[in-house]
Formats: sequence, C-alpha cells, structure tokens
Amino acid sequence: MGARRLETLELPELEKVGEKVGVRERIRELQSLSEKAEGGDEEARKELRRAVRQSTPEVVARCSDIARNYRKSLAKTASGGVPYVEEAFVRRAELLAEEVAGENPSPLESLLAERIASLWALTELQEALLSGYYGGLSKNLSPTFLIQMSKLQESTNRRYLNAIKTLAQVRKLQGGTPAFQVNTQINLG
Amino acid sequence: MAWEERGGKLYYYQSERDETGKVRKRYVGSGEVAELIAHADATIQRVREERREKDREELEHMQNRIFQVLELDEAVEAVMRAHLTCAGFHRHKGEWRRGRKKT
Repeated sequence: MGARRLETLELPELEKVGEKVGVRERIRELQSLSEKAEGGDEEARKELRRAVRQSTPEVVARCSDIARNYRKSLAKTASGGVPYVEEAFVRRAELLAEEVAGENPSPLESLLAERIASLWALTELQEALLSGYYGGLSKNLSPTFLIQMSKLQESTNRRYLNAIKTLAQVRKLQGGTPAFQVNTQINLG
Repeated sequence: MAWEERGGKLYYYQSERDETGKVRKRYVGSGEVAELIAHADATIQRVREERREKDREELEHMQNRIFQVLELDEAVEAVMRAHLTCAGFHRHKGEWRRGRKKT
C-alpha cells in the first residue's frame, strides 16, 4: 500500500533539487527490504542493515526539509499573508519539533518529531478554517462542504494523535528514554 | 426552469420536486413578470454554481495539503519500519514488539 501511494503522489521539493528518484528509490528499497526481513529473510535483514546505514542520513535530511517547507506553505495559508503571523506560525512549529524531539534525539526521533510538528501545523490550519466557517466569516457555505471539511479535519487529527503515539512507542521500545507527556487541548465555540 | 412556446406565445415554467421526490413542472406565467422571475432564477442558479465551484476549489486545496503530508507520513513510516526491523523488533497486530526472531 505504501509503495503504491509513493507511486501516485508527487514529491515536489525533491523534484526541485533533482533528487526525486534517488530518495524515492531509497524509501522503496527500505520498504521492500523491511517486508522481506519481517517475513524471516535473513539475507534481506543484512541488506536492510546496510541500506539503513547508507541511506538514513540522506533520507532523514530530505524528509526533514520537506516537512519544513511544507510547514512554511501551511503558514502562508494560515497567516492570510500577514508576515509576522506567518513567521510566528513557522517558529511555533519548529519549537514544537525541537521540544518533542528532546535533547540529543536519534535521527529517527528527529524525523518522527518533524512529522508531528507538520501534522500539528495542518490541524491548526484546519481548526482555524473551520472555526471561521462556523463563525460565519464565509457566509453561504453549503452543509456538504462543511461536512467534508470536518471529515478531513477528523482524519488529520487521527493521524496527528497516531504520530504522537508512534514516537512514544519507538522511545519505549528503544528504552532509556524520558517520559513523554502529551497535552491535548480542544477549543469549542 | 424553462420557457415553452405554445401558440406563438412564451410561457415560463419552474421545475420543483414534489413530496415523493419526483420532478414536476410548475407554471409561473408569461410576459414581463415571467421574464423578471426567469432572470432572478438564472441569477440564483449562477450564484449557486459559483458557490459550488468555490467550495470544490477550497476542498481540493485542502485535500492537496493533506496528500502532501500523507506522502511525508509514508516516507517516515518506511524509515521507522526499517530502523525497528533492523533493531530486531517485529510487528504483532499492528503493534511493534521486542525481537522474537533471531537477528
């Protein structure tokens, strides 16, 4: 399923720097080797270790770049073109990523923290848009539109909470990690 | 909404659904009054279409944003899975567990 999605979706930031195929191929290679290794193929496991050693720094760096660019573009939409709001949004997401990653994070933890910060940015944007809709900023919106937007927001929220859970789980598995506390605030009305 | 010609004269009809859900024609009138109503109907129709188009564009924009993060998600999942598999963890009913298999 993962490979199919990578096939159909674009990686615009990677394309821009001409590394699209390289990083995408590495991710596919990791997916394929992981599958084989999980199935008990010892050769694949050895090969996977080699691939992880070789490709992780680059993949992590590129994915982190994508996450940051993505957040910048979300900030642009969320700020409505007000530069200091845009900057504050980006900075807040960066701080969140740093805070969640903690001190001396492993490359994997950094990557998971970047994902959490990006999903946080998306949920913030969706929440702001929806409160605007419900608050009557955009009049004459159809109920179908509002229902679809709410569904998208629910889906992002689920993904966001799942990303937090995944990081907590990875830390637990890797052991000797600090406690991870998540405070979720829901604003109604 | 439509104009119909009968005996060389134009008559304006509106379409509406009855309580059973069937589309019925309803006679509105002819002459200047009918023209005014027809013009108002056309304006309402145009505004509705514009609104639908705007809603569609906004939804598409949001979906594109979500697709971008899905792609990132996918890549992060692949890296995480590779790392954990390398470290000897395995998945059981979607949950990662400590190594059972020889690494």
